[in-house]
This record gives sequence, structure tokens and C-alpha cells, in this order.
Amino acid sequence: MTDLLQRPERLRIRPRVRRRTARRRMTWSELATYGAVLVLLVLAVVGPWIAPHDPYLVDQRNTLLAPSGEHWLGTDGTGRDLFSRLLAGARPSIIGAVVTVLAAATIGVVVAAIAATAGRVVDGIVMRICEVVLSLPVMMTGLGLAVALGPSQKSAVIALILASWPSFARLARSEIRRVMVSPHVEAAQVLGVSRWRLLTKHVLPNSLDTVYVKAAMDVGGVIVIISSLSFIGAGAQAPSAEWGAMVESGSRFLNNAWWVTGAPGLAILVTSAAFSLAGDALRARLDPMLSSSLGEAPR
Amino acid sequence: MSVDQRVATYAAKRALACAFIVWGIATLVFLMIKAIPGDEAQSAAGITATPAQVEQVRHRLGLDHSLPVQYVDYLGRLAHGDLGTSIVSFRPVREELTERIPASVELVGSAMLLDVLVGVPLGMLAAARFRRTTDNVVRWVAILASAVPLFWLGLMLQSFVGLKLDLLPLSGSQTIGKESPRVTGMATVDALLAGNLSGFGDAVAHLVLPAVTLSIPFIGFVSRITRSSIVGTLQSDFASVVRAKGASESRIVVRHALPNSLGPIVTFAALQFGWMFSATVLVESIFGRPGVGSYLADSVTQKDTFAVLGLVLFIGTVVAVASAVADMIQLLVDPRIRAAQVGAPA
Repeated sequence: MTDLLQRPERLRIRPRVRRRTARRRMTWSELATYGAVLVLLVLAVVGPWIAPHDPYLVDQRNTLLAPSGEHWLGTDGTGRDLFSRLLAGARPSIIGAVVTVLAAATIGVVVAAIAATAGRVVDGIVMRICEVVLSLPVMMTGLGLAVALGPSQKSAVIALILASWPSFARLARSEIRRVMVSPHVEAAQVLGVSRWRLLTKHVLPNSLDTVYVKAAMDVGGVIVIISSLSFIGAGAQAPSAEWGAMVESGSRFLNNAWWVTGAPGLAILVTSAAFSLAGDALRARLDPMLSSSLGEAPR
Repeated sequence: MSVDQRVATYAAKRALACAFIVWGIATLVFLMIKAIPGDEAQSAAGITATPAQVEQVRHRLGLDHSLPVQYVDYLGRLAHGDLGTSIVSFRPVREELTERIPASVELVGSAMLLDVLVGVPLGMLAAARFRRTTDNVVRWVAILASAVPLFWLGLMLQSFVGLKLDLLPLSGSQTIGKESPRVTGMATVDALLAGNLSGFGDAVAHLVLPAVTLSIPFIGFVSRITRSSIVGTLQSDFASVVRAKGASESRIVVRHALPNSLGPIVTFAALQFGWMFSATVLVESIFGRPGVGSYLADSVTQKDTFAVLGLVLFIGTVVAVASAVADMIQLLVDPRIRAAQVGAPA
């Protein structure tokens, strides 16, 4: 025993990761939502390659065609195949949202870890900054920043990352602080585990479940916001097949070809709903007690 | 200290916090202005400006000073209500903004009315049928409703209800020739004030599609909040007592659970005002309504960066104030929260 206390750096205690995941079988609806998300992610990656036509090929003789065997969803105002454009647009729309959420969550967790361990002054400053950013709707911060940076898909993604990391930071901070005072962490502290190891091996693994759930639930909303920014003109620009930009360019032909607007909007709706439902299912699995905007009431 | 005094102290603190937030938003917008690539004086003067004009603007905006001085200047201009100048119309942003606020308030107000009228009963229904098919259906509807891209929904409603079925007017806030003299700037209220009933009907008809569009995602949220709030109350001891006395489940929901669950619903409605106000940017331009949202959308299209940032600051302030008001309402309507916040007896 004395030997152990004299050489604490040699001591390897195994982190106690609390498993909250109930080992129950997946229901059909869960499988369906996870499956839908998987299919959408695959489409986002391979979409442009499996498109039957060139999504950017202008064909002035075949504008605004109705859906047919040749053009499954018809053609848009400049004769481009709508189905191919939807496939090509899956990448900026879906991957853009996934990247935004991943980056925001990572920044948020890192900032939270710093805030929770660095002392009261840093913590106070960081939390005030979060409070200010969170008081603005993500849409407004995103819009202002994207316009200031010069409207483009890249600006929109950067703007939304900067607008949404504080919500992750605030969540992760409260979780980290909760876990910091739990007995196993105090035990590790007493044994002289380094601050870095304490954080990465003992605290974070036990505090990130809610962050994963929030990330999963956020993707659906971010898809809608990214497409909204493009629709207004603060995101992806004209020839891009980003879904929001497609809705915008289609809206001029609402009179005689509603499907040019209808199809990309429906794609946004389905994708966003699929991600939200999957996030909801993940939440129910990881943390049945967590309440959220779509959550269950505490039992 | 009496309860009233403690409530007043709380209100003062909340107002101070709100002022801090507004200051923070202003700082954020200042940083956004600094993030604009290129020469700020050139962007503010417009592309057509001569070098002399650019220098003039540089001097007027104090851009020849150091950054801290510029920041203080900026806050000073804001304190005088100067939100910047449009580089397209060369009019002060505040001037055009003030003209457009009433139309947005009219739209947001009707959308809020709609989503409370639909969302609260939906939530009550889901709570009364807790964990049964109806509950699940409402949950699905709520998730779908919050996943709908507003701008697309607006266009689709326009296409089917407006163009195909020709039931409602497509855009604008009233038909030319049916206007009433501008008093408040809200077409419906102005028509009523002028006793112009056909004008009122016309203004309401113009309001239906945009208000429905704006309210749909929020109906999902309102129904979820109502549901979870009522479910919580239904599982409390007093609900069991009422149930034991033989009251029907629907009576418990309507007469006992709803009044006790109104706190979160009212708070959410107040918060919603701010969120909806920012969402008007997606709806008003589609329906050609002359509000703050369409001003913002137009400014983005015209690359009028300074107008955009001025409007973002304004809308951010509206949201911050709405959230402070929401907190105060909660405090006033719910004695339990009053007890928790200011220590007043429950």
C-alpha cells in the first residue's frame, strides 16, 4: 500500500464509465429512423456520382419539363435535371449541417472543459459570452456573420458554427461540473492523477452522453437553418444545387411548375425530420430522463 | 421587505441583465462589422463613391481612430438610436425600420394567436391520451412541424391555396383601393379604426397565409410544452385525489391540470414573440409584406451589409427584451416560481 502511494504516477486505475444505455432491443421505428439517416448520409457522399444527368448542365430546349421517365422529377428553369440536382445538393445540405454540428460540439466541449477547470474568472467570462450569443436566435447570428463574411456556403457554415458552439459549451460545462464532484473523480484526484488524464479518462467519458444526444437532435434543425440562409441569399450562391438555393431559384416558376420548388423543399423536410426522429430515438435510449423541447415529461 | 418590493428588486435585476445582453449583442455586431473583408469606409460609402466621399465617410464613422475609440463611438451612436445607414437607399436604417415594425407586429401577433389556439388543445389531447396512439400521432406531427422549412411551406401554400384554388390573396397586406388611412401601420387595425369593414376583411385575408406559415413550426413546440407540462401535473397527488373523487380524465385536464400548467405555456408564448420576429425574415418577403423581415431579406439580396447588421442588432434586442418579459410574466402568474426567485410565500 505504501508502495502505491509513493509512486502514484505508476498507478493505473481503470476509469469507471457509467453505462446508461439500457440493453433493450431496438424497436422497428428506431431501426427505421436510424436506417433513413444512414441512407441519407450515404446519398450525401455518393450522390453526385450516381446522378443520372449532369446536375449543372443547362439545356434551354428542355426547361420546366414535368416529371417523366427520362427526368424523374422534371427539369428546372434552365433545363437542368431536378433529380440529379437533388442528389448533388445532398452534400452541401446534409454534410454542411453535420460538419457544423460536429465542429460546434467539439469547440463547445473544449471550451467547457477549460471553463470548468480553469477557475472562476475564466468560467465567468466564458459563460457570459455564451449567454450573449445564445440570446440571439441562431438564425440571426448566422445571417449577420454570413453576410459580413461575404455570402457563400462556407461563410454560412462558419457563421453557424460560431453561433451554435455556446449551446454545447453550456450543456457540457454543467455535465462536467456534475461529474467533477462524483466520488470516483475525487478518488482519482486523491491518487494524484494528472489534470489532463483526469479530464480525458474520468470526467469526459461520463459527461458526454447528453452532448451526443444534443448533437444528434440538432442536425435536423441546422439543415433547415442552412437552407434558410441559402434561400435568403446569405448562404450557397446561384448555380449551387444546395436545397435552399434550389427552392429560391424554383420559386420564380411557382405558377407553372410547382415541383421545381416542391422537390428540394420536400427533401429538406424529410431529411430534417429523419435526423430529428433519429436524435429523439437516441435520446430515449441514452437518457430516458433527459427533458428537451421534444422530450418526454419526467416520470 | 414586502413581497412587492422583492418583486420590484427582481424586476430591476432582470432589466439590468437584459441591458447587459443588449450590450453584448451590440459588441457582437461591432465585431461582425469588423469581420467584413476589405475597407470598411469603402463598403459603407457604396461602390459608386468617389475617393473623396470615401474619406468623408471614413471621417464621419471615425474609422481613422483606433479600434477602442471606434468601439466607444459605435456604442455612442447606438445610444442615440443610430443603427447605421443603408448603402442602397442612403436612408438611416432606423427610419425605414420604424415604418415597418407595425406590419411585423401584426403578423407575429396573429401567428402567436393561431399557434396557441391550435397548439394548446393539441398538447392537452396528447396529455390526456398519454402514451397512446393519439399521443404518438401528436408527437410525430410536432416533429414534422418543427422540421418544415418555413420559406418552402410559404411558397407551397401560396402555390396551392393562392394560385391553384384561388382562395386567398397571394401577397401584400391589402388590396389597392381598399386601404384605410395609416394610423397604426397595421392594416387590420387601421381598417377597424376607419370603420372600413370590407377593408378589414381584405386585410385579414391577406394575413391568413403568412400567419399560418409562420405559426406551423411553433405549433409543434407549443403542443409539446403543453403536453409535458400537463402530464407533469396529471401525475401529481392532487390529480390523483380529483381522480379518486370520480372526475373524468377530460375534466381533470381542462379544469385542474390546464390552469396549473399555464405558467410554462404563457412564458413560452412570450419567448416566442422574439423568435417569430426573427423568423419573419423567411416569411414576409415571400408574401410581399412590408415588415422588418422583408426589409432584412431585401438588404441581404442587395448586399446592404450595414442595414443587415443594424437589423440583426434590432431583432436581437427584441428577442432579449421578450425573454426578460417572459421571465417577469412567469414570476407574476406562478406563485411557485415567485417563491423560488424572490422568496415570497407560496
